[in-house]
Amino acid sequence: MRLYDRFTTRENLTFFARLSGVTNPVDAVRETLDFLDIAPLADRRVGTFSKGMRQRVGLAQAILHQPEVLFLDEPTSGLDPMGVRQLREIIEKLHARGMTVFMNTHLLSEVARSCTSIGVLAHGKLVFHDSMQAVADKYDERSLEDLYVGVAERAPEVAA
Amino acid sequence: MTPARLIARQSLAGLARDRSVLILIAFFAAMVLVTAWLGWSATNTVNAIYADAATYLSASGLPVPPNPVSQSAPLAVLRNLGVYISLIGAFGSIVIGQLLIETDRRAGTLPLIGARPFERRDLALGKMRALVTATGAMMAVAGVISVTTLLTIPSLVVGPGDLLRLALFLVAGWAYVTIFGFLALGAAARMPVTASGLIAATVVWLVVTFVLPELTANVHPTAAINPVSTLANTPDSAFFHLTSRVLGPLSLAEGFAWLSGDLLSFLPDGLAPRGTIPPAVTLPAALILAGLFAARSASKLDLNAGGPDA
Repeated sequence: MRLYDRFTTRENLTFFARLSGVTNPVDAVRETLDFLDIAPLADRRVGTFSKGMRQRVGLAQAILHQPEVLFLDEPTSGLDPMGVRQLREIIEKLHARGMTVFMNTHLLSEVARSCTSIGVLAHGKLVFHDSMQAVADKYDERSLEDLYVGVAERAPEVAA
Repeated sequence: MTPARLIARQSLAGLARDRSVLILIAFFAAMVLVTAWLGWSATNTVNAIYADAATYLSASGLPVPPNPVSQSAPLAVLRNLGVYISLIGAFGSIVIGQLLIETDRRAGTLPLIGARPFERRDLALGKMRALVTATGAMMAVAGVISVTTLLTIPSLVVGPGDLLRLALFLVAGWAYVTIFGFLALGAAARMPVTASGLIAATVVWLVVTFVLPELTANVHPTAAINPVSTLANTPDSAFFHLTSRVLGPLSLAEGFAWLSGDLLSFLPDGLAPRGTIPPAVTLPAALILAGLFAARSASKLDLNAGGPDA
């Protein structure tokens, strides 16, 4: 996760909040830390953090200015099961707040648990898109993995 | 707070936590202290010898000559400061210039910075502002130590004119070291591997400090780093007269040494600067050119590069 190791969580977040033009960066940082339950990490140097802790601070950096859309690239990569669970809870909280979260992942089990819609990209093109509910209705006898493999195998002709 | 100021503040805070920068600045301050101690020690020694000689001469009924310390300018006790600025100060500035890019690139924060709503030129201005402040702080350290030394040596009478000349010398020193910092900043921003920027700027510094004076000062070899009068016969070669005239304005180290001698009042009579353009013109011109290079390069910095995933 891309952060300044020599700075504390609060210093990192305050810098990016100010750079984003957040009106009251001190309050925004405090609220974000509380929202993500990482207030105890506020005054600790980021360089001392585990991957999961850095992931959450990185997430805080991304939502400081309260964007409407958030892109997460392999957010569970390198996380232990506890970290994955915490991240999932955060994503659910962000969704409940009204934020649209795009999550790029190869962990289909994570897609099934966290997402409301699914899309499959092949060769830079969206070759499949539907709601998770529709997928569950249509493919109830098949696993999500079978769906993915089927779409991926047909991808060249779909993309063409 | 403007984005440029914000970036400058963040960059300075990062530098203040970088061990290599702290070591370099501490080393620079230590060498300034050594300069001050050497000046103080030499002055005290001459004073002590003069006092003994004066007592002896008086007792012998011979005329007592004036104290040589009172015959030389008080700022001359700081004569070695120019050398340390052109060596340690300039190298420190190179390291700082390179780190201003390297820190963000290594942390991988450039894409995060680039995603924020501000102009690219603000990033360049912020980095340059941080460099200018850091090198200014180095010169301020040198200034405080120097003034303390001048006020501590009892036999030296320091007037406002001397302090003004010292201030001008420190400004010249700041300009000189900042040139190399700008070069390092620009080179680090321009090259995909930041270490290459450090090497490029260091090579320029080595050429300016050691190679050019060889070509420009060989008609007057002892003046290569220290502006002192000729101690040996000079090679009266047409080649070196030509290189001295042509490369003289580019020989910034020698120009700064000459300017140091002039401002600290220890320049031997008749020692002229190399070439046809005086250092008071070439140094600011080089600073402006290096600043433009840094601004242009940092404005075009690839904000998608670097980081732990790179």
